[in-house]
Amino acid sequence: MKFLKSIKPLLLVIVAALTLEATALVQMYFSQKGIREEASMRAESQLEATRNKILIIIDQAEAAVRNSQWIAQWCLDVPDSMERVCQRIVSDNPVIVGSTMAMVPGYLPKRRLFSPYVYRDENEELVCRSLATEEYDYPSQEWFVKPMELGAGYWSEPYIDEGGGEMLMTTYSLPIYDKKGKIAGILTGDVSLEWLKELIGSIKVYPHAFCLLDSREGNSMVGIPPEATGIEEEVFVYDATVDRTGWKISIVIPASDMFDVLRSTGFIVMILQILGLVMIILMLRSYIKGQKRYSALDQKRKLVEGELHIATGIQMSMVPKTFPPFPERSDLDMAATIVPAKEVGGDLYDFFIRDEKLFFCVGDVSGKGVPAALVMAVTRTTFRNLSASTDSPGRIVRSMNDSLSSMNENNMFVTLFCGVLDLQGGLLRYCNAGHNPPLILTGSINILPVVPNLPLGIMPGMDFQEQEVELSFDDAIFLYTDGLTEAENIAHEQFGEQRMVDALHGRKSAADHLESIKGRVAEFVGEAPQSDDLTMLFIHYLPSARHLVLKNDISQITLLQTFVGEAVKASKLDGLLAPGLNLALEEAVTNVINYAYPEGVEGSVELDAEVGEDALVFTVTDSGKEFDPTARPEVDINEGVEQRKIGGLGIHLVRNIMDEVSYERRDGKNILKLTKKY
Amino acid sequence: MEVKIERENGVVTARLIGRLDTPASQEVAPQIDGLAADAAGTIILDCTELSYISSSGLRIFLSLRKAAAEKGGKVIVRNISNEIRSVFMMTGFLNLFEIQ
Repeated sequence: MKFLKSIKPLLLVIVAALTLEATALVQMYFSQKGIREEASMRAESQLEATRNKILIIIDQAEAAVRNSQWIAQWCLDVPDSMERVCQRIVSDNPVIVGSTMAMVPGYLPKRRLFSPYVYRDENEELVCRSLATEEYDYPSQEWFVKPMELGAGYWSEPYIDEGGGEMLMTTYSLPIYDKKGKIAGILTGDVSLEWLKELIGSIKVYPHAFCLLDSREGNSMVGIPPEATGIEEEVFVYDATVDRTGWKISIVIPASDMFDVLRSTGFIVMILQILGLVMIILMLRSYIKGQKRYSALDQKRKLVEGELHIATGIQMSMVPKTFPPFPERSDLDMAATIVPAKEVGGDLYDFFIRDEKLFFCVGDVSGKGVPAALVMAVTRTTFRNLSASTDSPGRIVRSMNDSLSSMNENNMFVTLFCGVLDLQGGLLRYCNAGHNPPLILTGSINILPVVPNLPLGIMPGMDFQEQEVELSFDDAIFLYTDGLTEAENIAHEQFGEQRMVDALHGRKSAADHLESIKGRVAEFVGEAPQSDDLTMLFIHYLPSARHLVLKNDISQITLLQTFVGEAVKASKLDGLLAPGLNLALEEAVTNVINYAYPEGVEGSVELDAEVGEDALVFTVTDSGKEFDPTARPEVDINEGVEQRKIGGLGIHLVRNIMDEVSYERRDGKNILKLTKKY
Repeated sequence: MEVKIERENGVVTARLIGRLDTPASQEVAPQIDGLAADAAGTIILDCTELSYISSSGLRIFLSLRKAAAEKGGKVIVRNISNEIRSVFMMTGFLNLFEIQ
């Protein structure tokens, strides 16, 4: 018996250690899966964007040659005018650096070989020379042979042009048919591929990842970057093929790069586990000592109390406790609190900022005591691990559920609300897993609409729906656990939702709100013992930055309303002017979205609002092609219906609403300044 | 943004509800452009519940007005807010439409 008694604590420690280890392994597995999915998504979207950029150039070059097809046909009878055709292709199309019309040998009665070649020299001047030489022998060149065989347009294998300063080039060749349907010659456009090196070099999905570009024949087109040599570890490769040219773009990500985040969090997890174990050992030691000193009854009491201390200790060591948490930020006022019940209920909250996004969660583990506290600790670590690699709360919650369900021997489950607030734009994306819906404070207090979904840990592979809401300046979110609404007084009445909502009225700092609710709960509960943890998280969104970045997508226009409204509110302008200024900004931004970037190219529009002493100044900046909206002719607003032109109203409105409108092209950017005086 | 079209005694009434900004214009343009088929008669654009209009919305109004001019019908703009009235004023639209 004595032997058994002394071995029991040891067994407990071993079992606890094994459980923690198993938990960590399962967690690592799911985190790795999440990170791989994220990497694949990042790489695929980069590949798609790069392919589109290449296709735009390819399309332009093809169109340039095709558009001259008919005139080349017409010139078959007057061969001396062919030089002019090639000249026009080069002079009208900046992407094309050289062009020739090479005749099929023997087609022209007088000249066996005929191929005038026009190209741009280093001084950007057009020069013409003949390719019909014995040494060059153009009829045997790939750019001539392939389209002859195919009878259709063909992109040549990229080559180094020795004549033109060692440039990487490719040629688009198009057969020209005569009236009898016979191929008479090949019309070409040479495209320099120097820009590809820069484009491919600029792709960086991870610090040590790199990108390769191979031709149809498998030759490396932009060289192999230095990072690629000497890699001895496992790598992940994602690739895409460019239509027509057959080029293959590959993104190579070393495994170490991808799992870097995991390694650092893995270390933290390990430290936490060791801390947990040390605490268990310490508690057991004091328990063993206690055995010697106390009577049987005391021993039992001490054991229970010890366990309670462990649980509270685990719980409190896992949540952020420094408030205000982000003293350097003026756009966020936050406070959070857990009031643990005597027997811990496994409540949790967590939050952190990454990439200008606030990640946060509040949860409640079913069950009580050490087991609940351990599940709580695991839940919180899983939240941290998974949110390091994605900013979608739906994906975080799905992966957390998979992770928690697969090691849920005790059938404990967790209700959780997870949110990601974009601090730049105010978009709050969230996912609710069976938790009480939070309150949203926007002047009035309402329940945030949530899809209930199931709690975490019930079954792996479940789907969790993500939702979103736009937060404006001064809006707040209040999250809580049922320990608040279900707090009971001696008469077994509950605190309830109405008292909670009443307590939130009035303007207070986040911390004062929580203190005041705690005070009211304490007053209500009186002498009754606290039966469950009480957790609250208050997030007050106060964006002070007058800066907004929009994608070149028309649907983004709706974000202007809040941006302009807040800038007007902060200025000395009358609030009634906000819709008019919104209109001016909308017109300016729509112009950029419609004209600055070519179709299908992703770009952005940056907006700044400067609240000055005597004017509110908006600046609209983009990196698209040069476009001066102020240079557009003024519309005549007195014209009758028939003469009235449909376009041109946008800039006319901008001019009428604002006091000053000025345009400037600087550092490759279009900068439009709109001033409204007080 | 929502457009509700009603036909009664040969008069077509389109109630415009919400904000007619650039994205909303793209969304409802086919619906309003479709009214050009009725442009020989009277078309009423009821703006009682229209809170905002941008140039892309004005463009839709103007195309409809041009169709009416061609086919000999008329376009009546009803109940515009002060906000929208000032936009109509800036663009000369007050002279192009019958405003009620």
